[in-house]
Amino acid sequence: MKDYRIVFEKTGVMRYISHLDLNRCMIRAVRRSGLPAWYTEGFHPHLYLMFPLALSLGAESLCEVMDLRLTQEVPETDILTRLNAALPEGLRAVSVGEPQHEAQDITGARYEVILQGEALSDLWEAFLSQEQILVEKKTKKGRKEVDIAPLITAESDREEGDGLHLTLCLPAGNAGNINVSVVVDAFEKYAGRPIFTQCVRRIKIFCEDGKDFL
Amino acid sequence: MNQQIEPFLLEVQRPSRYTGGEVGQVVKDRRDIAVRFAFCFPDIYDVGMSHLGMKILYSLINERPEYWCERVFAPWEDMEAVMRRERIPLYALESGDPVREFDIIGFTLQYEMSYTCILNMLDLAGVPLLQRERGDAIAPLVVAGGPCCCNPEPLCDFFDLFILGEGEEVDLELMDLYRRMRDAGAGREAFLREAARIPGIYVPSLYEVTYHADGTVEAVTPRDGAPAVIKKRVMTDMDRSYYPDSVVVPFIETVHDRVSVEVLRGCIRGCRFCQAGFLYRPFREKSVETICRQGRALCEHSGYDELSLSSLSTSDHSQIEEMLDALLQYTADAHVNLSLPSLRIDNFSGSVLEKVTTIRKSGLTFAPEAGTQRLRDVINKNVTEEEVMRTCRIAFEGGYTQVKLYFMMGLPTETDEDIIGIADLAQKVVNLFYDMPQRAKGKLQVSISTATFVPKPFTPFEFEPQTGKEEILRRQAVLRGAIRSKKIKASMHISDISQMEAVLARGDRRIGAVLYDVWKSGGHLDAWDECFEAQRWYAAFEAHGLDPAFYANRTRPYDEVMPWDHLDYLVSRDFLVREHKKALEARTTPPCRERCAGCGADQCLGRSCF
Repeated sequence: MKDYRIVFEKTGVMRYISHLDLNRCMIRAVRRSGLPAWYTEGFHPHLYLMFPLALSLGAESLCEVMDLRLTQEVPETDILTRLNAALPEGLRAVSVGEPQHEAQDITGARYEVILQGEALSDLWEAFLSQEQILVEKKTKKGRKEVDIAPLITAESDREEGDGLHLTLCLPAGNAGNINVSVVVDAFEKYAGRPIFTQCVRRIKIFCEDGKDFL
Repeated sequence: MNQQIEPFLLEVQRPSRYTGGEVGQVVKDRRDIAVRFAFCFPDIYDVGMSHLGMKILYSLINERPEYWCERVFAPWEDMEAVMRRERIPLYALESGDPVREFDIIGFTLQYEMSYTCILNMLDLAGVPLLQRERGDAIAPLVVAGGPCCCNPEPLCDFFDLFILGEGEEVDLELMDLYRRMRDAGAGREAFLREAARIPGIYVPSLYEVTYHADGTVEAVTPRDGAPAVIKKRVMTDMDRSYYPDSVVVPFIETVHDRVSVEVLRGCIRGCRFCQAGFLYRPFREKSVETICRQGRALCEHSGYDELSLSSLSTSDHSQIEEMLDALLQYTADAHVNLSLPSLRIDNFSGSVLEKVTTIRKSGLTFAPEAGTQRLRDVINKNVTEEEVMRTCRIAFEGGYTQVKLYFMMGLPTETDEDIIGIADLAQKVVNLFYDMPQRAKGKLQVSISTATFVPKPFTPFEFEPQTGKEEILRRQAVLRGAIRSKKIKASMHISDISQMEAVLARGDRRIGAVLYDVWKSGGHLDAWDECFEAQRWYAAFEAHGLDPAFYANRTRPYDEVMPWDHLDYLVSRDFLVREHKKALEARTTPPCRERCAGCGADQCLGRSCF
């Protein structure tokens, strides 16, 4: 029995499948691949797959992570080849290795975001320079206001032909998670007009020390 | 993927209904294709992707390198709003190309309440709804197949042709003819006249219907050499009949989210209410070897972990035990669950149950259909109360605690005694459970579900009136009053939909105008309770001076010309009349395997069925 951590891309059409659907899709892909998957014991054995961090519907990613348990050791290149042969277009395994971190080590993620519209740059910077950015968050006990200003790390922004290109780091993982859409919604509210999100792409999942989650 | 739709996908629920891109989809190079076929299922993706017939015909057509079959489904209301707002025409999932650019647009007619959805899909596609307004260009042809083609008269205004019976051969014959005539420059009318010569093809525009003063059909008269009677097509050898070894694997969870291997076609039971039991005759089964090979290939190619054995009555396969043994040898090791959705009560043996339960344990579903033995004899549901009890006992011993019982209400000759019998039968099941010392742990739940009976063409009850809505409501109240135990949960179907279903099932060509109006006034997904509005329908009937009761609630004499009399589904009118008379005397007919009832369906085999 051996655990493998697979990093994969979820792009194109695949960004429209939900986390639950991705799980089912991956289970079937592993079954088609013929890899010696490990099944849970018990009355309803099921194939063991674990996703340490979910991705919201509509976002692309170059760095999704999935843990797969096999009944025996298989060369990592074989795992890549066989899995990729079974995956639909838009899902592509890029690397396989032994898990280095625990899921709870994840603290944040980096995103590329493209917001459609002209001359958004100044508005964006004004938005970020606010003392507080209050958003309403639904919790089990009801709604509460949270200040997300200290949680956003905006690394870069630049205007291009198709809109404003942003690179953002946001908290991710068990300790707290902020979706890009929460930030964009707050920006939209600040701007007082609808802003179309053309692209959200996760490019890195990292641990507290800033190193890649692997 | 359709590029126009992409910016709006996050506005709608379950966007992957609309993207395509699934494993198993067939994508071809447009430049290599001679004929493009848009296979349209008139309901949403989640429902349509569960349909076995579509999977068979999709793969069958795509086996031909020069033909390309793609899938088209109805958008849910949220997506329809986006498509209309943004003027995005209905498109096929594989290429994203507009449906109106296809050579053939083919709908499957699975249930009557989907008819308005067909009109809506044609409209979304930008194809003229009325056949006569499509001009003489040969494309796009609008065609339909499926069980409701046994009486397609309400849809005659909208279709170029209907394909009767099983499509595995005739669909390709039709496409071959289309290709030949299109390449020779033929127009629509010339093509249709020629297509009408293919056995199983019904071209409605080549038939004139005349009516008596009382509204019944006087005659259906062919012209231009069209055959007076069109006979359905049948695949005579199931082992040689085409069956796919791979399917499109959806991302979202569909209604039947599993692979299915069809184990047999037809049914030996002869339940008199069941249209499928007569339409799909004669009874033909696949060999155990074929079933295992096909089931295994489907699991391996799809990655599904559930394999369903599909048929009208799987336990009527002559080698059911051998089949299960052979399948279980593969499925147990491959971590595949085997599901048998259509088991019958009477021959449901403990060993069969054991085989199924080694894989998965959930609720059991039985359909006694009627509450008393007398009424079960009327409908020829040859199940006795002892058999129901015996099976429940086996099930309870095997650890089951949930039993679902399906019944119909409004069956011919039904009285309040029969209605109370439904509650009594459910109560006996409850009592049985608590009288068993070695019963399973867990909470017992007996669910009874009653649907309103809808008389259908090509059944012995095609002559019968449907019970009216008021009376059904009264009987529902009688049933509710008769239920004593809290362990029994009852759910009952709305009867407005049932009446419309009854009208469409036995309607004539005049209903076409009603359908058009219902669609025009907003009826787009009438098969869905939450989208169905009875008022639209009643208003449309009134506007055209038609009475739903004339179609649904009238007794039809044996010698009446039915709107579908020019269509031949192999079962003879004489047989149906015989069965109807026996029904009224509560006399049963044994299963075909015991004694041939002489329905006539064996004519296509050139031998007796057994």
